[in-house]
Amino acid sequence: MIIQLTDINKTYPGAVPLHVLKDINLGIEKGELCSIMGASGSGKSTLLNILGILDTYDTGEYVLDGTLIRNLSENRAAELRNRLIGFVFQSFNLIGYKNALENVALPLFYRGIGRRRRNAMAMEQLERMGLADRAHHLPGELSGGQKQRVAIARALITRPSIILADEPTGALDSHTSREVMRVFRDLNAEGMTIVIVTHDPKVGEQTNRVIRISDGRIEPVEQDA
Amino acid sequence: MLDIVREILQTLAHNKLRTALTGLAVAWGIFMLIVLLGMSRGLYNSMQRNNSMERSSYINVWGGWTGKAHKGYKEGRRIELEAADIEPLRARGGSHVESAIASVSIDSAKVSTMRDYVTDGVMGVYPQAATIERAEMRHGRFINARDIEERRKVMVINESNARLLFGSADSAVGRRVDCMGLSWTVAGVYDNDWQRTSYVPFSTAMMLRGNSGVVGDINVRLKDMHDMADADDAERGVRAELARRHDFAADDMGAVHIWNRFEGYLQQQTGGAILEAVVWIIGLLTMLSGIVGVSNIMFVSVRERTHEIGIRRAIGAKPRDVLGQVLAESVAITALFGYIGVFLGIVVTEILDKLFGSSDFLYNPRVDISIAMEVTVVLVVVGALAGLFPAIKATKVKPVEALRDE
Repeated sequence: MIIQLTDINKTYPGAVPLHVLKDINLGIEKGELCSIMGASGSGKSTLLNILGILDTYDTGEYVLDGTLIRNLSENRAAELRNRLIGFVFQSFNLIGYKNALENVALPLFYRGIGRRRRNAMAMEQLERMGLADRAHHLPGELSGGQKQRVAIARALITRPSIILADEPTGALDSHTSREVMRVFRDLNAEGMTIVIVTHDPKVGEQTNRVIRISDGRIEPVEQDA
Repeated sequence: MLDIVREILQTLAHNKLRTALTGLAVAWGIFMLIVLLGMSRGLYNSMQRNNSMERSSYINVWGGWTGKAHKGYKEGRRIELEAADIEPLRARGGSHVESAIASVSIDSAKVSTMRDYVTDGVMGVYPQAATIERAEMRHGRFINARDIEERRKVMVINESNARLLFGSADSAVGRRVDCMGLSWTVAGVYDNDWQRTSYVPFSTAMMLRGNSGVVGDINVRLKDMHDMADADDAERGVRAELARRHDFAADDMGAVHIWNRFEGYLQQQTGGAILEAVVWIIGLLTMLSGIVGVSNIMFVSVRERTHEIGIRRAIGAKPRDVLGQVLAESVAITALFGYIGVFLGIVVTEILDKLFGSSDFLYNPRVDISIAMEVTVVLVVVGALAGLFPAIKATKVKPVEALRDE
């Protein structure tokens, strides 16, 4: 198990406390390509935040690649995110004034790797995504599909344990969506563990396992393919 | 390190207008500080020059009116200093007295040549008057001891008067002028912006005054002077000796007037220090508006880049990376534009120096290299200070921000 969630609970405090995750138990094997689906407000975003060490949980236990994720300092959390997780976002989240190469290399900057080596590694990832000729273009000069592939290259550059994708096709047309999903399937074929959060059934269909969440609970297992 | 510099340059270049506007406030602050410091230095330097230690070692005494009855005399009596006071003052004026000299003015005297005449008065003086009166010699020499001894009819005239009387200043020495019915030889030409009196030997002037013995003023040269107590001591000694000779009360302040230049010198030293302190305060307060400007802009920048900071945090930036980046940007802006301000400030003080540098009220109005060093330290501290609160705010940005749509 690369991801093991045991009895995870999360409540957002407030005048009316909001119990968003209720006793979540979930295991994801190494090399899986799975999707987490649910309507908006179902708790899937919160679950993604916890999986991505972007947010904390109240009770339970989350083990990611053998590391217990709990009560981490900001610094330790940043380090683990950098080392274990590659993020792919709906709105790409590339930095607008940095070119594709610099965007891809950025995670290595925070790991303290020198510029020359960083850029060589970033170039390698861009080549893998078929974007070598776009390395020195700014994100604004790239199409949606190209931007998302740059973002995937950035997620891959640290050789993470898992890739977490948040609605990765949400901002793309159906043709480009298929293209991006193909990239994910290819990566999965190479052994990468990928978790995609989506509300699009077509995306869900292309994964090997769909985890449905509604009202803060995981629905009874339903295995595809 | 190079990476951080590159990172900063990239962000600053990305926000050119904002960077420039912010920088302007800082550059202006530093510019004002440098110009003000230069001006105050110039003012101070000129005060120093006008009132050198040499001149400051004299106290100047002239006659007044008694304000108290004393030894049977009624108050309101005129006290006139005499040439005969000089020797007793030197002997009994107190331990600080080194020597004493007198001068006498003949204000009505007219100095003329065939060409023109001047009516700036004539003053009989001792050789030391060159220092006291601040007469800078341009041609020839000042009155000397032989002139006094032999009661020579020689005269030292002002440069602009020399031009009036002879057409040019350099041809005046050795030529003759008429004054008080006698013919005089011009011994020298001096320069002074405020004084145009013609100087003649004290002994010659006294002879022309008809040997009444009354002098205009007496200058007592002091020695071993260190502080205010010495200045008061010397003044008291001189007053006491004159009181004894002229029969007035030693505590009668109006009987003789005393201008204690040493006291003035000490006050001027303090004044100079205060002036500099005030300039620093004004300059730093001007800088404060710059700090507030930079701080404000950094806050705006952090807010605008919340999403970007979130992305950076999500892909592994630690809080201290974010803190460091904002601080470094702030220091970079202040240092870069600060130096532009320093440079412009130095240019302006150099121009002022060229225009007024040799005049009496602004001498060498320049800032030295140590000021530039101090300013560098100030800039870095100011930049860090300005960036501190925005940087702390930036570290509060949660990585979850990355997931929020723009």
